[in-house]
Amino acid sequence: MSALPFLIIIPLLGAFSMPIISLFGEKARSAWAMLVSALTLGVASKVFYDVWSTKQLIVYTLGDTTPLGKGVNFPIRILWEVDLLGALMALIVTFVGFMAIIYSIEYMKHDTGLEKYYTLILVLELGMLGIVITGDMFNFYVFLEIMSIASYALVAFRNDTWEGIEAGIKYMFVGSLASSFILLGIALLYGQYGTLTMSYLAVKIAQNPTLVSKVALGFFIGGLLFKSGAVPVHMWLSDAHPAAPSSISAMLSGLVIKVGGVYALTRIAFSIYATSISIKTVGWIIIFFGCVTLIVGNAMAVIQTDMKRLFAFSSVGQIGYILLGIGIGLTAYGTKVGDIALAGAIYHIINHALMKALLFLVAGAVLHQVGTKNLNELSGLAKKMPLTSFAFLIGAAAIVGLPPLNGFASKWLIYESSALYNPFLAAIAVLGTAFCTAAYIRVLFTFFGRPSEVVENAKEPGKAMIIPMLILILAIIIMGLFPWQISDKIMLPTVDMIKDQLHYVVAVIGGA
Amino acid sequence: MSEDMGLIVKTMARATIPLIGIFGAYVISHGHLTPGGGFQGGATIAGAGVLFLIAFGLSEAKKRYDHHVYSALESLGGLVFLGAAMLGLSVAFFYNTLWRKGIAFAGEPGTLLSAGYLPIMNLAVGLKVFAGLVSAMMAIAVYRRWKE
Repeated sequence: MSALPFLIIIPLLGAFSMPIISLFGEKARSAWAMLVSALTLGVASKVFYDVWSTKQLIVYTLGDTTPLGKGVNFPIRILWEVDLLGALMALIVTFVGFMAIIYSIEYMKHDTGLEKYYTLILVLELGMLGIVITGDMFNFYVFLEIMSIASYALVAFRNDTWEGIEAGIKYMFVGSLASSFILLGIALLYGQYGTLTMSYLAVKIAQNPTLVSKVALGFFIGGLLFKSGAVPVHMWLSDAHPAAPSSISAMLSGLVIKVGGVYALTRIAFSIYATSISIKTVGWIIIFFGCVTLIVGNAMAVIQTDMKRLFAFSSVGQIGYILLGIGIGLTAYGTKVGDIALAGAIYHIINHALMKALLFLVAGAVLHQVGTKNLNELSGLAKKMPLTSFAFLIGAAAIVGLPPLNGFASKWLIYESSALYNPFLAAIAVLGTAFCTAAYIRVLFTFFGRPSEVVENAKEPGKAMIIPMLILILAIIIMGLFPWQISDKIMLPTVDMIKDQLHYVVAVIGGA
Repeated sequence: MSEDMGLIVKTMARATIPLIGIFGAYVISHGHLTPGGGFQGGATIAGAGVLFLIAFGLSEAKKRYDHHVYSALESLGGLVFLGAAMLGLSVAFFYNTLWRKGIAFAGEPGTLLSAGYLPIMNLAVGLKVFAGLVSAMMAIAVYRRWKE
């Protein structure tokens, strides 16, 4: 029996039973949340190992043993289809989710309504897991909405602060509009082709590539760029991430914008549209947005005085690199350069999830212990909170891409492929990194200044906040020590599986 | 200004609330046979709750509303749905083993006791929707004041 359904069952069970469990008190509540997310991490590791060791897609049908209907040779049921990219995303989602839940035990101690908080954080994780495993367009939309609505509620969780409410409203309006774009795209595809299964849709579109399918793709790209915070539509992100509780910012920035944005974009572009339309055009559109995002995001990060806002703009900038990698992967489809670019993008998704989660946890620790995230007041923090400052140093060095850490390899792959593809793009990427370096060095100098009055009495946070940071540091360093092994053993096979659209289709239709 | 509505409205509410409740229960329990189902029926019953709140006023509604009970009912609805979906897990998630193996709810199609796990899921969804909507409505109704 496949472990796959438990990826959904366990967080769903955890979220549904949370109101009952929390009748037994605070300890039971946080212990249950930790247990559930730890089990989910275990299941995700199992699924990842299964897919990785066999290099086979897992196809799981809901409701029966086969996705095909009786007497017909097309899929009629909802099915989950997990390739290596999906499994990798599931692993990173559950890992960062687990870290965020451990962290929030201490971090959220002073807030009220925590049974709703833990329910929502499990629902958020559930939504993201659903997106990465699903092989059905409408199922994808439902999980996208589960994820989005949970994150609207979590951004506005501290509803006694004005910024929480403001950011929540902004995020909700923008996010709902983006979701409705995606729903409209799905409706158009269903009206034209009469199916919602991704792999069968790929067949149908390849047979009859109509204008409708292109319009639908336009809606998908529009909606998903909203969700990933690409530049013309990144304004919600720079408000939502600072206003959310830091454990949630870590999940939003590390996971939500990747799973609901760039992952879905990759899946739709490569698994549904890759062979039926001119993906070169689509690739250039994504490259354009990637380059704009890269410059604007990183440049805006330089001028911020609020620590979490700086990290939020830096997330926008890093999304730019990922989009650039995916775009080159599409335009140079089937060439070595395209493969390297896509591998770099996927690698950077994973790396950035780890390091941005670490950075937001650091920001949360500072906010929790000192009570301000204004960088002008935070000088000399390194003397009072050495461990937290060290965590920041590692996170910042990784995000800039210093060689012993994990950010180096993924950025190198993106630089290399963009330089090979078009040197102009590489120049833009390097310019973005220059801005990024400037932004982080500014923060670093604040940390290592003379202690100001505000940080005079600061001390390190407790164990529950330190341990997730240490684990993330460890992950970043270990991944940094074996960059090319990871790239060869995991990222390149992932790229091979994404590009193998035929296999993605045949695994469902079964050669019929 | 008094909180509740006038005598006529209250009397009419006394007469109609049971009817709305019964109709909602009908919609839920016949979800697999007639249009409607868990969501529609649950929302109908929650409508009876809304009528109670505005006809009899907030203080009267508060006496009959316990946050913990509704919260627990809502999660119970979710758990029952998940449980029904997991019954056939040895074959597949959401496998309708009750119907396929003829264990329960396996009567002639078109009768009330048919369709396997569907009636159970409708009941669960109805419970969840009812409890959730009433909780949300009460939370909004008691929300602090109009101004500071």
